Amino acid sequence: MVVPEGYEVEAIMVGLSFPTDVAVADDGTVFVSEGGSSWPTRPYMPARVIALHPNGEVEAITMNVHAGPRGITWHNGELYMIFKGGYHMQLAKYNLETGKLTILIDKVPSGGWHEPGGPIFGPDGLMYFGHGSVSQQGVSLPAGFTVDLAKHPLAHDVPGQDITLTGNNVWSRDPRKPYPYLTLTGPFKPFGTRSEKGEVIKGQLWCNSAVWRCRPDGTDVELLAWGIRNPFGMAINEQGELYVSDNDFEEKGERAVALDPDRIWHIKNASKPFGSVTTPDWYGFPDICGDGLPVNHEKHLPLKGKATELFIQDPPPWAGPAAFLEQPHSCMCRMDFSRSDFFGHRGELFVAEWGTLAPLNSPREEDLDHGFRVIRVNVKEGTSELFMHNRIMGPASAHGGGGIERPVSCRFSSDGKSLYVLDFGVAHITEGSMFGFAHTGVLWKITKKEMSHG
Amino acid sequence: MDKPALKQPILIELDAECRQDHLDKVEAWLKNVQLTQASFRQLLEDTVDKIEEPHLKDYLNTMLQQALDHEEKAEALFLVIGREPSTVRKLAGDLLGKGRELWADIIALGGGAHGPWQDLQQLYISNLNSMSAFAVAEQLGLALGIPEILNITLSVIDEKSTSHLLLQEIALEMCSKSILYQQPF
Repeated sequence: MVVPEGYEVEAIMVGLSFPTDVAVADDGTVFVSEGGSSWPTRPYMPARVIALHPNGEVEAITMNVHAGPRGITWHNGELYMIFKGGYHMQLAKYNLETGKLTILIDKVPSGGWHEPGGPIFGPDGLMYFGHGSVSQQGVSLPAGFTVDLAKHPLAHDVPGQDITLTGNNVWSRDPRKPYPYLTLTGPFKPFGTRSEKGEVIKGQLWCNSAVWRCRPDGTDVELLAWGIRNPFGMAINEQGELYVSDNDFEEKGERAVALDPDRIWHIKNASKPFGSVTTPDWYGFPDICGDGLPVNHEKHLPLKGKATELFIQDPPPWAGPAAFLEQPHSCMCRMDFSRSDFFGHRGELFVAEWGTLAPLNSPREEDLDHGFRVIRVNVKEGTSELFMHNRIMGPASAHGGGGIERPVSCRFSSDGKSLYVLDFGVAHITEGSMFGFAHTGVLWKITKKEMSHG
Repeated sequence: MDKPALKQPILIELDAECRQDHLDKVEAWLKNVQLTQASFRQLLEDTVDKIEEPHLKDYLNTMLQQALDHEEKAEALFLVIGREPSTVRKLAGDLLGKGRELWADIIALGGGAHGPWQDLQQLYISNLNSMSAFAVAEQLGLALGIPEILNITLSVIDEKSTSHLLLQEIALEMCSKSILYQQPF
């Protein structure tokens, strides 16, 4: 494994099962969430948070939830968690001393493909969180191995503003039926429900593909942005600016999009005073790619799958361009800003890249090794540099030997001097399947070496 | 989870004691895989003999060759985790297959079906049962991070899934001939 000169890497925990996030308390306790039913949905492994205390003791915070925790953060003596599972995302806080779990928010429509983002806290003391789209490609369609349609047949995307539909629908087979004949589905509808030209879908506070903020107790929720396909990674810099990661469309299936870059968005509404955002910004989903071109632009025509048509008539203004564009299917995940001169690169954004699902979601040879690394991004310049990667790009298991597989999160210690990198573990991908292997996740710690003055 | 030695990474459920406990539980399940697959193969062998229609006989003969191969693969799963296959469970599976045949005759008598149709219906259920057992073994392999289990189960489940569709189809196709017209096939 390669990190820049002057840094050292050590493994802290090995054998994690589908870990999703890492958080660090003020006293140095390190928390790792294990996602339960995650990516893919089977096998379910116990959803829990593992706490490693500074004295070396380890405890497991267990919970009886079907999917599990996707994001965790420590704030004012309590552990905040965001859960996926069922028709609603849940945001909760947990008190380590009393063992009490309090659900703060249980209204965001979920039950589909994409993930909750956050929670994180800004210097303003407010809590920021997000949730990706239910649909993978802008319309609820069969997605095979995650059996979304069997669990949540009524799940669908919800817009953050009133929108008018073009009336374009998508044909697909209905795998739920004994005779899997073709059926039509429209955007912002449950699977098998068609849309009409000129139909208006009302915008909701509790939408998805969106980012919100609220008080730490979950009240006074304010919608900042929507149209973000998968805002899984969220980070706020020392200036209080909010950035979110977002993953590109897939080049497969009934509404396929090619060569859509992964991206990091600057959520500009987060810099406005709390409570003053009257209109959320729209970042393009389901009709605009990360580069600002419509999904049906000739540059984005697919080699695999059926080409797209636009869903929204007279869309809202686009809030782009992105602060940073990355190679398609890099799968940028959770991230954190460096706040330490000692660690270095202060003000730069460290981003975990889970890595591609090609050849499942892309037919292109060049996509096979995208991701599988940690990069540092200059969000003002829109540039990046490698920070942690294998000697041969791609997951370690593809080439044998040790190294990193699929970095899913990175978080600085509370003093900012160390960077924790959480590796999800081994996921085996083919053109038609995806299998995740439990007990293969690793928590790494990267520390700047002390200078010798002897 | 143990208190770590200095600078040693913490093993999460990878220590020898926990690992052996998990493998013991997998071994118990693999005996179930053996049992259900032997039961299916026995019932399939007996059903092939009862069917005269050449196309249906050919479909089932092909399925039987796969079933024999799947039975060997069920035994190979034990070797992956360093254990020995169970001879008792294989024998029990043979008996269970015969029992399903008898049960099919009883249902056929009560439901007015004629010929081997009810055996097909029982085969359909028996294949689903053994396919589920392999699928669970696959999930246990994923849960313990053992890719060699997946290497064995994946093709078995693919073939049994196709068999599931075929058995469903021919059972539904032939039910009218058996129940309405009281004819063998």
